[in-house]
Amino acid sequence: MQWLTVFNKELLESWRNFKWIWVPLVFILLAITDPLTTYYLPQILEATGGLPEGATFEMPEPPPSEVFMMSVSQLNLIGVLIIVLITMGTISGERKSGVAELILVKPIAYHSYVTAKWAAYALLIWISTFTALLASWYYVNLLFGEVSAGSFLRTFFFYGLWMTLILSISIFMNTLSKTAGLVLFFTITLVIALNLLSSVFAHVVKWSPSLISSHLRNTLISGELSSALWGSAGTAVLFIILLLASAAYTLKHKEIS
Amino acid sequence: MITVQNLSKVYQNNRAVDDISFTLSSGKCIALLGPNGAGKTTALRMMAGLISPTSGKVELLEEHSGDIRRHIGYLPQHPHFHSWMTGREFLIYAGKLAYLSKKEAASRADQLLTRVGIFEVRNRRISKYSGGMKQRLGIAQALIHKPELLMLDEPVSALDPIGRRDVLDLMEELKKETTILYSTHILNDAEESSDEILLMHEGKIVESGSLSSLKDRHQVDKISLQFEDSPEAYSQKLDHLDVVTRTEIKKETLDVYVTDQARAREIILNLALKEHWPLLQFEVGRITLEDLFMKVVQSYAVADRIQ
Repeated sequence: MQWLTVFNKELLESWRNFKWIWVPLVFILLAITDPLTTYYLPQILEATGGLPEGATFEMPEPPPSEVFMMSVSQLNLIGVLIIVLITMGTISGERKSGVAELILVKPIAYHSYVTAKWAAYALLIWISTFTALLASWYYVNLLFGEVSAGSFLRTFFFYGLWMTLILSISIFMNTLSKTAGLVLFFTITLVIALNLLSSVFAHVVKWSPSLISSHLRNTLISGELSSALWGSAGTAVLFIILLLASAAYTLKHKEIS
Repeated sequence: MITVQNLSKVYQNNRAVDDISFTLSSGKCIALLGPNGAGKTTALRMMAGLISPTSGKVELLEEHSGDIRRHIGYLPQHPHFHSWMTGREFLIYAGKLAYLSKKEAASRADQLLTRVGIFEVRNRRISKYSGGMKQRLGIAQALIHKPELLMLDEPVSALDPIGRRDVLDLMEELKKETTILYSTHILNDAEESSDEILLMHEGKIVESGSLSSLKDRHQVDKISLQFEDSPEAYSQKLDHLDVVTRTEIKKETLDVYVTDQARAREIILNLALKEHWPLLQFEVGRITLEDLFMKVVQSYAVADRIQ
């Protein structure tokens, strides 16, 4: 009941400040850029002056799954930044401005407050990711060749999980700092550190959540779900639960403003 | 209905609230007085559960149980709202967070909007509200779930005289329904609308009780004099008298603090007659809240200096 109240309020807020419009749009834009530019590269080169006389340029046609993965990596770069940007003030901002003082003296459980906010943003992110990957999948099928519906859905699901983990890190950082800029900094630093560590120790730790996209690439090529992918997904879920629990705990035991 | 036991809050080395204890009984209007920085806000916020005390506890008595936040309404000193919401939306949101159904919350919101006098602007975004409207909305949101205890942090200090009057009248009305604890440093307000006061200074409660009992206890009798000319010359003469403890000049008025009111009155009047003082006013009065406030604060300030 109270959970739904906060959840609805978050959805309404995101709607009123147009997040429900621009976030999906930007995601779609990010996702379709690579398939389109890759396909039209010869024409683009032609239009911008072409190649020097005598030079021949043979473009290897990339496999469809490879192009689809390009969209995912594009989202991985800028999409992650957008997620942190839209969520960096969700709790910290309310604490800083003092709204949290009014909200948290009402008899609402701290975990409801945290998870309802999280869920509202998760919904936005899942829907944005879905439409983005759907658009990319459409163009890849149109321009390069078939990627199966199963592969598309699998990519969406596992990649959504990784995005949700980013969201959870941001929510947790929100309870640590009242300054939105610091939330951004800590979250991005943690994500980069996670990426670095797991690529350095990739041969040892196969289940790091940041390996999800590289596991996905293998899955797309081989067409089979590897145990490493499931492992990474499992760790991601575990991390998400831990982060949310710690966020609720921190908020409860910290000075609210 | 609510008991505060040995509540303390320490920030680094600063004891913002230092071991305070008191009990609030139902149906009273209690003013939490003190100069700026006395720890009033910190105390209120601990009671509201917004910050956790370093030691001590806040307890509800018998009939009220469970989450303390269900039974209290709180208005911070500078309330902030989701400015993208309308006033009515915010009240309904607050009501639903306090376990009202959607329908109850809506009807209660309309009722309160009328009561605090912002019904006409209920569908306007809060970002367009004036300071006074926000303060009223703040009071309305604190009342949305009919709390047994209403805590207001400096409810009138940011308002213009008209807004101040309205809020004080509203508090007068609310007294009948709920216990009110409010902090203020405006002594007139406290004198006018509270039954009891708690006087805080440097984190401690230095005085508490009903206004009249406090006045009785601190009955330093006082005689105020006004003259046609400046009062300095007379204050020196009066200082030598054995019934006079001290004199104080406030602009045109000379306040003479005495030990025995009846005898002092006779002596001073006799002196005035004999020396033909150009008296304008001769007033025998008891200590006001302001005097008490200054006295307590100053006596502590002196004690600090001696240490």
